[in-house]
Amino acid sequence: MAGPGRVRQSRPSATASQPAATDPASSLARALREQEEGLLNCVHCGFCLPACPTYRRLGDEADSPRGRLHLMRAVVEGRLEPGAEAYQRHIGRCLGCRACEPVCPSGVAYGHLLELARRVGNEAKPPSLVTRIILATFGSRWAWRPLLAGARLLRALGLPALAARRPRSGANARGPRLALAMLAASARVRSLPESPPDEVPSPTTPTTNAGRTAADSPSPTDGPDNRPTVAILTGCVQAGLFGRVNAATRRVLEANGYRVVPVGAQGCCGALHAHAGELDSARELARRNVAAFEAAGADYLAMNASGCGAAMREYGSLFSQDDPDAPRAAALAERVRDLSELLVVRGPRPGGSIHLAATSDAPCHLLHAQGVADAPERVLRAIPGLRLLPLQGASECCGGAGIYGLTQPELGGMIGGDKVRNILESGAAAVVTGNPGCMMQIGAGLRLAGSSVVVLHPAELLDESYRRGGLYDGQGR
Amino acid sequence: MIQQSLVRELRAICGSYGVLDDPDALLVYESDALTAYRHRPAAVVLPRTTRETRESVAAIARHGLPIVPRGAGTGLSGGAVALNDAIVVGTARMNRILGIDAPNRRAVLQPGVINAELSVAARRHGLYYAPDPSSQTTCTIGGNVAENSGGPHCLKYGVTSRYVTGLEVVLPDGEVIRIGGQGRDAPGYDLVGLFVGSEGCFGIATEIEVSLLPVPESVRTLLAIFDRIEDAGRAVSEIMSAGMLPAAMEIIDGATIRAVEDSVFAAGYPTDAEAALVIEFDGLEAGLKGDAERARRRCLATGAREVRTAQDEAERAALWKGRKKAFGAMGRIAPDLLVQDATVPRTALPSVLRGISRISARHDLVVANVFHAGDGNLHPNILFDRRDAEELERVERASKEIMRLCVDAGGTITGEHGVGLDKKHHMTLIYGPDELNAMWGIRRVFDPGETMNPGKVLPDETQPVAAAVPA
Repeated sequence: MAGPGRVRQSRPSATASQPAATDPASSLARALREQEEGLLNCVHCGFCLPACPTYRRLGDEADSPRGRLHLMRAVVEGRLEPGAEAYQRHIGRCLGCRACEPVCPSGVAYGHLLELARRVGNEAKPPSLVTRIILATFGSRWAWRPLLAGARLLRALGLPALAARRPRSGANARGPRLALAMLAASARVRSLPESPPDEVPSPTTPTTNAGRTAADSPSPTDGPDNRPTVAILTGCVQAGLFGRVNAATRRVLEANGYRVVPVGAQGCCGALHAHAGELDSARELARRNVAAFEAAGADYLAMNASGCGAAMREYGSLFSQDDPDAPRAAALAERVRDLSELLVVRGPRPGGSIHLAATSDAPCHLLHAQGVADAPERVLRAIPGLRLLPLQGASECCGGAGIYGLTQPELGGMIGGDKVRNILESGAAAVVTGNPGCMMQIGAGLRLAGSSVVVLHPAELLDESYRRGGLYDGQGR
Repeated sequence: MIQQSLVRELRAICGSYGVLDDPDALLVYESDALTAYRHRPAAVVLPRTTRETRESVAAIARHGLPIVPRGAGTGLSGGAVALNDAIVVGTARMNRILGIDAPNRRAVLQPGVINAELSVAARRHGLYYAPDPSSQTTCTIGGNVAENSGGPHCLKYGVTSRYVTGLEVVLPDGEVIRIGGQGRDAPGYDLVGLFVGSEGCFGIATEIEVSLLPVPESVRTLLAIFDRIEDAGRAVSEIMSAGMLPAAMEIIDGATIRAVEDSVFAAGYPTDAEAALVIEFDGLEAGLKGDAERARRRCLATGAREVRTAQDEAERAALWKGRKKAFGAMGRIAPDLLVQDATVPRTALPSVLRGISRISARHDLVVANVFHAGDGNLHPNILFDRRDAEELERVERASKEIMRLCVDAGGTITGEHGVGLDKKHHMTLIYGPDELNAMWGIRRVFDPGETMNPGKVLPDETQPVAAAVPA
């Protein structure tokens, strides 16, 4: 069995016996009832406070998980209006990084409660126009495909890179400039900032798979018919701006003995919509993907964007129990794995040398939401010559958090600024992280700070190592 | 409603993120970790420095409003509840370690530093901060000073007061004094000793000097499993009587075991047991083995069905995480809880534990016990759902009976959580009018206007003026 990943049960299963319809009143009532149940687990111990990036920076209890749960409960108890500015502000300021979940002794399903809280909040006060436009765009392939094609064209023209380089930058760029810097940061890294082997800073922990080479690694295939099959979620942003990561994902999986099968009409996973509280839209997108991936019939679903991975692992609890699609969604969710989990089961095979001083930043939705902690670094250890340097605050959110940089520019800038500072202090020439949102947020921050540190997806780096190691020779890429 | 002129004044001092006055948002400050008492403050101020604290306190004092200091809000006696529309002065943004003087084993901190983070920082120098409340990953040193907090390892190492050597304090009128510091025993009266444990009634500590200890050479951690909680209590008493001094001895009862084992902090306690006893010895490697073996034999002799030894640091950490996160895991049993904090002589543990289970049965309540057995410091957690008013009444009755039981057994009403709001009416169980008068007198020396955390610790009806007791 591949895929040892621990799936955190992050939502209380929906018990509502409501019709699956999108009647707003019943949907709202259901959200409130589910919330009341889930909130009872919180005994107010406060163990979550230090894990919360917004609390650590603002020191305001209302911007802590315990405080936000308290506001949610006040709404459920009828002591607070969901349209109240305080509710909108503090629920809005939550990154949704879910760092509070693994430290909660009572197992409060914070992530799900936050989605319900936003659902309730949206009813009282619709989200901003920008948010609505973004969500509507990713709700339909016919909208995001041409939009992202346009973004690719813009990126190719080099305008975003130029905008990010303008002298009066500083890390706290807002709005359009941040968006342009993020777009620039999504571009392929043309050449890796390698240093001669003896100049690569010493790591604190031993990192490379010393002594192992491509030649003496086990054969990757169990014979063509026995290979486990994998379907890759190509995603929306990932497909539009990180096509190279999807291609690398396919190659490294095949090199490690998986057979990648095509998937028909797959689309956006709906994570952005769920996080914003647009649960009905999220369910519609989930239904489409459930059908598409069922038809593909693979043993595993490989995720190379941890935000999408977390969302798809929780498809089962997105639907109420009496929804006809609920069992199918739950069964599909069982087969979801992060790319790194699939790779570590197979070693992964070592590749050719890359003499790079790198550091690894854990995407929140991989570490906190999916509970996958060691796999990404174990993947990187298959690359001879790569030195993994420790990163202070690696488990803290980068401030990307979906569209947080656009909705909360000041706080997002503070959190992102700290991440950039820690990366620069690590001495690494490259940051490796497995989520497109984090790649763009961190890349934009580094660019705006005038740094030449590059951001890479682990699949890209392993792919390059395999190319150098000759693992693809004679395979016709 | 707070005056806008004061809000403007405070904003000018602490910045816009440093003053909160939206009544809706202030709901989150209505309680600390004891949710049974709730009262919304008029505003919250979050200063970053001594200067900001001093100026804020002075401004609030000029307006004649009461002040409630607050750390991380993890207190369990309602000490940070803002009665009478008080303004909360929180230390969450005063969270810098100002210096670690390793050769002299001292550290100077702002009050908002998290207890465990001090030990993490000190560890680089081979040092650590000894008092370890179970909430140490989140509670602050300032709060520890206010409550004179304990923790599992205080059995051997003593509580907060033993480690605080100097303080900078903003008094209720905004004046700043520096007391103690740099020495073992400052000349004159021991004002540091007086301030530690004053529960926010004497002022706000803005700088705290603490002494650090060298990390022990070696540690042995045992887990003894019992089918009867009284037997675990007897084992504790016998180990101490035999002249041993473990660093910690903690009992976790069956209900708590099952809640913890259900959580991410599962420690491997057997879920069919009625008590787990965690015993830790630390010090020089030579000698630990003998101590551990003697303790093991005592446990088996008092009825332990099994005694395990943690094989490595990971196992040891798991045993402690399970113990320390137990309070938070109670949410798996019921939405609300009231934690008692009574201390009884160790020899009385078996009979008091029996008494507690009788009281909980009589009132049809679930009581989960997880406590510092070596110190005789009990923490019965009475579990309930505050939406059920009738149950809440039973909780209050049971709580009083448990308190009375402990006092009758020769114990007292609090071991480490402080008196705060929850236990102030039990103060008369322990003290007579003369003792309470003496306490009122000291309080008024620091806070003549009674504006600092009013309504806490001392029962109002015992005020000398109101009581008008003839001399």
